[in-house]
Amino acid sequence: MDSLLHVLVVGLLLGGIYGLVSLGLNLIFGVIRIVNFAHGELVMLAMYGAYVCYATLGLDPYVSVLIVVPALFVVGVLMHRLVLQPLHAESSMQIFATFGLLILFQNAVLALTRGEGYSVPSKLAATTFEVGDIRVTMSRLVIFVALTLAAIALHVFLKRTRIGKSIRAVTQDRQAARLMGINVERTFTITFGIGAALAGLAGALLAPIYTLSPGIGGNFILAAFAVVVLGGLGSVAGAYFGGMIVGLVEAFAGFYIDPELKQAIWFVIFLAVLVVRPTGLFGQAGAEDVGFREQT
Amino acid sequence: MLQFKGFRALAAGVIAAAFATVAVAQAPLKIGAINPYSGPLALYGDEVARGYQLAVDEKNAKGGVLGRKVELVRGDAGNPQQGIAAVDQLASRDNVDLFIGTYISAVSNAASDAAQRYNKIYWDTNAVAAELTERGLPNFIRVGPNASNFADMSVRAVIEQIAPALGKQPKDLTVWIEHEDSIYGKSIGDIQKKLLDSKGVKVLGQGAHNFRAADLTDVVLRVKKANPDVWLMTGYVPDGNLLHKTAREQGFKPPVILMVGTGDTNETLDAVGADYLEGAMVVSYPRPDISEKFGPGAAAYLAAYRKAFNREPVAPQGLTAYTGMRILLETIEAAGSTDVDKVRAAAAKLDKPLNTYPSGFGVKFDDKFQNTRAIFTVIQWQGGKQVTVFPPEARGPGVALKNVPRKQ
Repeated sequence: MDSLLHVLVVGLLLGGIYGLVSLGLNLIFGVIRIVNFAHGELVMLAMYGAYVCYATLGLDPYVSVLIVVPALFVVGVLMHRLVLQPLHAESSMQIFATFGLLILFQNAVLALTRGEGYSVPSKLAATTFEVGDIRVTMSRLVIFVALTLAAIALHVFLKRTRIGKSIRAVTQDRQAARLMGINVERTFTITFGIGAALAGLAGALLAPIYTLSPGIGGNFILAAFAVVVLGGLGSVAGAYFGGMIVGLVEAFAGFYIDPELKQAIWFVIFLAVLVVRPTGLFGQAGAEDVGFREQT
Repeated sequence: MLQFKGFRALAAGVIAAAFATVAVAQAPLKIGAINPYSGPLALYGDEVARGYQLAVDEKNAKGGVLGRKVELVRGDAGNPQQGIAAVDQLASRDNVDLFIGTYISAVSNAASDAAQRYNKIYWDTNAVAAELTERGLPNFIRVGPNASNFADMSVRAVIEQIAPALGKQPKDLTVWIEHEDSIYGKSIGDIQKKLLDSKGVKVLGQGAHNFRAADLTDVVLRVKKANPDVWLMTGYVPDGNLLHKTAREQGFKPPVILMVGTGDTNETLDAVGADYLEGAMVVSYPRPDISEKFGPGAAAYLAAYRKAFNREPVAPQGLTAYTGMRILLETIEAAGSTDVDKVRAAAAKLDKPLNTYPSGFGVKFDDKFQNTRAIFTVIQWQGGKQVTVFPPEARGPGVALKNVPRKQ
């Protein structure tokens, strides 16, 4: 019984990691309809950003969030302005472009670090709490809390603010939004920036857990895509609960069945959801088709 | 050889200068060094090449090989395709006489195959995949240890060192085998299981994980539940670090952790910290701190390395590479040529006992041209430093095994 509860906690906290990585990906995917293959690399850049803040300024990774998140927002804005926007007429080219950026980011970091594995220490991150037999690490708890807050903030932002409303408007119908006087390009750029900033938040908070390597983004991205599809395209709640589901499935399958099989098991569930409910658990019906509508 | 020496003795006086001119005029002996020198694997690729370079410099200072200067030509290869391309380029453009290479087994596999098409020797110093020598490739000779040596040495350490230190008979000892789930980790884990079973050690479980997994708490909880005396761990740097960190967070500190292959560099120290690592052991390539009796010349290697590169060795692979190159140059001298058949014949005749070379190796090739006297050693983390502790004769002066079992 104890281990059941323990695995539940482990799974939820792991879900926090997946949810946080997926949040920005889902926003970009849901709004701009770009599959951002470089999303994992944005997370990776943020992790190295936290490392740089630690190595040069001696900052704890949790403090470096204040620098890394705005920096990633700028990276996202630049990515969209300089690379993706000029390709807006050819959506498949945009996907290739994000793939190119993936290779570019990975290799740039590789060239700078020579592939040596870096670590970002944090006293705070390593503290653990004990509740009965269950041990919870600060680093994972912080991620869970950050995901919850970020999801709520994003939800409120999209519902209540002017920019948020314009983001929702262009998601529903670009042409109508443009006719209503919304600057679609600017909205897209801001959305991409926010998505990248969320990747930045994920990266800075993940940095104390992992050993940094240029390819580390790939460790999360497969799961993140699964979370996005499972939870529902463009849905904040989808990223949140989708992350939890993948985390729980992985923890239970890993502990009770076999760690070797856990990925296979959640991909089976992923495929089953796709067959039964193609929009994902929280997606709106038809959301997956929007990308194929004429969008000029 | 004797005739050559006789000729030199005759020539020593009057035509010494003329002889020197001949030696200089001789084209250099070119060795193509296949390694990843760019990309994510370059860190150790460069280190392996530094080992080669030191052995070559040492030989050139003594007049080279067969009267020819030795020249190292680098071929950059991080994957099999690049391995083939590098061999093609080195063979056709640079006219290298033979090849030496790398710690990446997949590259070694492809590059040695390509070298065979040019009918040139591929001398393997650092790749460990067992199947490389199973191919029966006529130009392939492996002078370094292979993956089954990893398993052998880890089990030897468990039986001969760890069990006595824990005050247990092997049959009372419990072990958990954890490995990453590719062929590399699995092959080592399977041999460990077989060997431990044969010694009567209780293997509580054998687990596999993906080295890129975002979370390994499930693995740690399984091992914690089994509560073994010894946790054997085979994988790469990122998953090894994550296992340690997760175990620490979960309040799990098994009496003995014995890692295989990785975990003996500062990448692990930085990630895990000296406190939790204290007492953990790693089966890896022999390090320059081994005793002079075990590895004659290891200290001289370290001194030469520091002088040439003005830094501490990045990883122990360099010493194995250095030794491998030294044995190659000796073999070429004995063969009097770089011809595949002659080098093979000369290699087959080599018979040097263990503890001949700076890494502690001897040489005796089996019929598949695997050096049967290449070995790994075991280090222990002591106060944030890597100290060679096994085999006992490899220990430097004043070195002892500490913290077995580890302090909780």
